[in-house]
Amino acid sequence: MFLGPMFLCFIVFLVFPVIGTVWWSTRSGSIFGGTQFVGLDNFLQLPGVVGAGSSIQNTLVFALLSVPLILIGALGVALILARIERGGSIYRFLVYFPVLVPGVVAALIWLFLTNVDFGLFNDVIKAFGGLPVTWLGADNALTVLAVLDVWRNVGYWAMFFVAAIIGLPAELYQAAELDGASALARFRYLTLPLLRRIIFFAVIVSTIWGLQVFDTALVLTNGGPGTATTTVIYRVWLYVFASNNKVGFASAISLVLILAILALTLIQMRLLRSRRGID
Amino acid sequence: MTQALDAPAAIGGMNPKRIAADHARVRRRRRRRNELARHCVLALVTFILVAPFYYVFLASLKNATEIFSYPPKLLPIPPYFGNYEKLLWHTGFLRWMFNTLFVAGSVTTLKIFLDSMAGYALAKIEIAGKRAIFMLMLILLMVPIGALIVPLWSLVSSLGLTNTYLALILPPLANPLGAILMRQFILGLPRDLENAARLDGLNEFAIYWRIVLPLIKPGLVVLAVIIFTDQFMSFIWPLIATTSDDLQLLTVGVAALRAHGGANYGLWSASAVMSLVPIGIFFFVLQRQFLARSLAGALKQ
Repeated sequence: MFLGPMFLCFIVFLVFPVIGTVWWSTRSGSIFGGTQFVGLDNFLQLPGVVGAGSSIQNTLVFALLSVPLILIGALGVALILARIERGGSIYRFLVYFPVLVPGVVAALIWLFLTNVDFGLFNDVIKAFGGLPVTWLGADNALTVLAVLDVWRNVGYWAMFFVAAIIGLPAELYQAAELDGASALARFRYLTLPLLRRIIFFAVIVSTIWGLQVFDTALVLTNGGPGTATTTVIYRVWLYVFASNNKVGFASAISLVLILAILALTLIQMRLLRSRRGID
Repeated sequence: MTQALDAPAAIGGMNPKRIAADHARVRRRRRRRNELARHCVLALVTFILVAPFYYVFLASLKNATEIFSYPPKLLPIPPYFGNYEKLLWHTGFLRWMFNTLFVAGSVTTLKIFLDSMAGYALAKIEIAGKRAIFMLMLILLMVPIGALIVPLWSLVSSLGLTNTYLALILPPLANPLGAILMRQFILGLPRDLENAARLDGLNEFAIYWRIVLPLIKPGLVVLAVIIFTDQFMSFIWPLIATTSDDLQLLTVGVAALRAHGGANYGLWSASAVMSLVPIGIFFFVLQRQFLARSLAGALKQ
């Protein structure tokens, strides 16, 4: 009775759609009606369908660029922030603020940074006498999108790491300091090993988030130039609502994404289980 | 304090007290120097993170020609309010804002109750298959709504809910994060309280309502912040669940400003600034709970 209402929503709007994705992925046609069963054809044809391969590639490159930058940046900020004696709350407020910016708004803000004529980036470059850069050109757009994600997420993981670092046993650090271990050695041989699982958790979760990028790509670059920043979910959306017979491909590619996320989740759960029994 | 430590220095010699004081002074100086270095690095990092906001705020107070001029004016004097006037009175912005606050508020309120009840059940009540349900929730925890748009859209439209507030409110209720967090929270409560209440003849609902809920209030506030911000930022589902202008959420409306009607940087900057006002106020008031948002993940560790 207590579990009922939430469980009902969970089944209807999450479990059922996950199963529904499998069903839709075996059909061909339009979401507005008139589909037919085609078996595994969608998956077999998927590599040849316009945009499918490039969207997967873009998403992977995006995650590979953004996740390491986010986590290294966040860890660096956290190491300093955890040891600061005064004024920490101001920094925390400011570092965390970009986290609360909706993707759409973040992308609008970045339109002002990356504009060729009056963007902040080129203003800075011009002030130092450099030549303006086409930030959202085909070569740079995906990287800019990844850096935008760093800007938005570094604060989130920095706070996460700060909490973990503060929770580390202080005696170990005092002992290491008495033994004359340098700050670098303490980081290398104490902090990193102690935070190993925490960092692994962060890698998995931020990768899962990275695979879902959509709103910033839509607003900042419209998925372009060409298909340079068309990500998986972007492509799903295009297949469903911009073409009229690709709902099967949309579901097939969604299913690939869901399976990737489930695989990452299971790795994460396994790791947690190996630490201290189940949950 | 420093004077008292400096005094023995005048005496000189190998006074052990003096050596100790010297050491302490060196250490203190080094500590102060390190603290200063940390402040410098953090100030630089925060400057880089915050500068974009100032730049956009600046642009929002400029007229069309000023935005394009180089070198840029670094202070908006005299400020130009035309962008804000246009945004507030000539677009649906206020309506979008209302919709977002209404939908996010509804989802948050509903979910607080659903999740705390579910968490209570998962933590304290014997139900057949409880373990399996919990595992399923953990496994599906990270599956995003963006990967489910095809079945969700067809489900919602076959229920006849397209272009209603319900279409925006119901699907987010499925997210199991809240129930998982609340279960963890309630498992941490002392068992004695509950046993005592049971001996007093309270039924399950009274235990939940009168004992458990008040005890987990801090957790509920953090959960509310998590849900509210996630809803405030949500985009893809509101984008496809509504086609009517009257039901657009803030994120969808702002994206439409970008997509339609050509380049209008003044309007875009004003909409970016205004979109951040409500969440900025909430963050300022509930800073600690917001920062705990990051720790919700750590809680699972």
